[in-house]
Amino acid sequence: MDEIIVARNLTKRFGEVVQFEVLHGIDLSFTRQEFTAIIGPSGSGKTTLLHILSLLEPPSSGQLFINGIDFSRADINACAHYRNQNFGFIFQFHYLLPEFTALENVLLPYWIGEGKPSSELKEKALELMEKLRIRHIKDKYPYEISGGEQQRVAIARALFKNPKIVFADEPTGNLDRENGFLVLEMMTRMIREMGVTLILVTHDREIAIRADKIIELVDGRICKAFRVKDTGMEKALELIEDRSCRID
Amino acid sequence: MVRPYEFMIARRFLIKGRIQTLVILIGIAFGVSIQFFLLSLIGGLQDDLIERTVGASPHIIVLPADVIPIQTWKPEKEIRETRQPTILEKQEILSWQNYFQYLKNYPGITAVSPIVEGQGFISKGDASYSIIMKGIDQAAGSIIYNLAKNLISGRLELTGNSILLGKTMADKLQLTIGNRIFIQNQKGQGDLFVIAGIFDLGSVAANSIVFTNLERARSFFGLNGISAIEAKVQRIFDAEKIAASMAREFSRIKTESWQGRNRELLTALRSQSMSSSIIQLLVVVSISLAIAAVLGISAIQKSRQLGILKAMGVDNRGAALIFLLQGLMLGFFGSVLGILIGYGMSYAFIQTRGGATFGLRINLFNLISPVIIAILASALASLIPARRASKLSPIEVIRYG
Repeated sequence: MDEIIVARNLTKRFGEVVQFEVLHGIDLSFTRQEFTAIIGPSGSGKTTLLHILSLLEPPSSGQLFINGIDFSRADINACAHYRNQNFGFIFQFHYLLPEFTALENVLLPYWIGEGKPSSELKEKALELMEKLRIRHIKDKYPYEISGGEQQRVAIARALFKNPKIVFADEPTGNLDRENGFLVLEMMTRMIREMGVTLILVTHDREIAIRADKIIELVDGRICKAFRVKDTGMEKALELIEDRSCRID
Repeated sequence: MVRPYEFMIARRFLIKGRIQTLVILIGIAFGVSIQFFLLSLIGGLQDDLIERTVGASPHIIVLPADVIPIQTWKPEKEIRETRQPTILEKQEILSWQNYFQYLKNYPGITAVSPIVEGQGFISKGDASYSIIMKGIDQAAGSIIYNLAKNLISGRLELTGNSILLGKTMADKLQLTIGNRIFIQNQKGQGDLFVIAGIFDLGSVAANSIVFTNLERARSFFGLNGISAIEAKVQRIFDAEKIAASMAREFSRIKTESWQGRNRELLTALRSQSMSSSIIQLLVVVSISLAIAAVLGISAIQKSRQLGILKAMGVDNRGAALIFLLQGLMLGFFGSVLGILIGYGMSYAFIQTRGGATFGLRINLFNLISPVIIAILASALASLIPARRASKLSPIEVIRYG
């Protein structure tokens, strides 16, 4: 299968005087167009792993290839440019810019990468917002809309430039359960339709079970990695619930 | 090169930063308007003082060289003379054409006139007053003494026995145009002159000059040569330089410039300029600090936005430019506002004058220099937040919210 991200022996250490290692030699790969969920208890290093995979911060050691390009020791600005051209981000908090309207927020990555968007592109953004049922709030500022709407604007922003990979960190963590599933449903459906690779970090097993592949991280090491279609749904649920890697 | 998004985001941050933006803009505007007003005021005052001092007088004067009288009598025994011999001024320059041509050909000279001058006495009835009789070349002399403007009555005519009389003397002796008046030289020889015009050069000393034509003055004083050459220059501060270069060129004359004869005035003007510069410097420093502080706070407040923007692909340079551009825009619009306020202040000043008799010096330099200073200071002040923005890692924001 076509691997879009390959990581070898990734480690991450924090601190200068007192160092502590968060990730201890992670080896993994992600398949193009697949939906991978990274699960694990809090403090397991899953968010740090996501940041490294999405070029938001560099690994302390190890190798990282994205689309065949070696990003192990890439320049900060080169990473920024690559993120703009290839990645979409959806975080737990919407992270919309309060100075810009919903539509302007959706268009921001285009501004950064390409410059002023044409009116056709604005129309395209509005169509995307239509699909996410947020077209009617296009001229509203982030603080004028609900949490669910904010997160859908963030999704539209992440998808507008047809990214190769979408990185999502607890994208519905800040929404109530019902709303959260609604937004998640919408997001995963659209991402699958567009054929985009999705890497999602969550601690919510009900969300993880929707993924094609599940990776469980415990204490900075990979504990399990399996495809739901290989194990079957029942076995997958069992595996998710299994706490054999844990010390507690 | 600035990319469109940097400009777009910088502009939006400023627009949405309402109160902060307004505070900085007003700060810059006041700074610029004060600078502009101060420059115009001090400049106007200085122009006026200089104009009053040298507007109606020669800028350069060429005089015969000082001479030490030759001792004609020698004592038999050596007498220790405690007094140095007096340095005497020679009375005339005989072959003056060389000097005249030199000045005439010197670039930047607007008028050159040979003059013949000396003491004289003007009498009416029992009254007799000391005057300076000055023979000039009519065309050049009129420019040097600005006679066209300073003539208060009569005609600017210096032919034959016609003279121009100063206002002070005319008032004292109750003389008017067309009157005949008797003027004597130091040897007691005299003649009748006709008053063609009355002028006012602004000071009592200058107003006790009596102008006549060069030839008439020469015969009046019995001179073969001339007493001096007077010249006016285009750029007034060049006078000293020209006078010095002329003195180097010729040995048998001495030259004087208006600067040389007005040292105290120049020192006063310089210290005035200096104090105005110090005030301006303080204004610039305090405004720069204010901009740095407010933009610095704004950079901290905008950390979250910057982190998100960086995650979306804004590089370090882009982040820095967003703040640098804010500084530049503030500087630009603040100074435009400042110039408007400054112009308003100047206009109000000119209207009311505040008891002053002088105008303001409003020129391009006074207009442009505070603007350039303000824009530079704003850019400099925004370097600190720009640096901070450049160094910010998107992770800091995303990890900790």
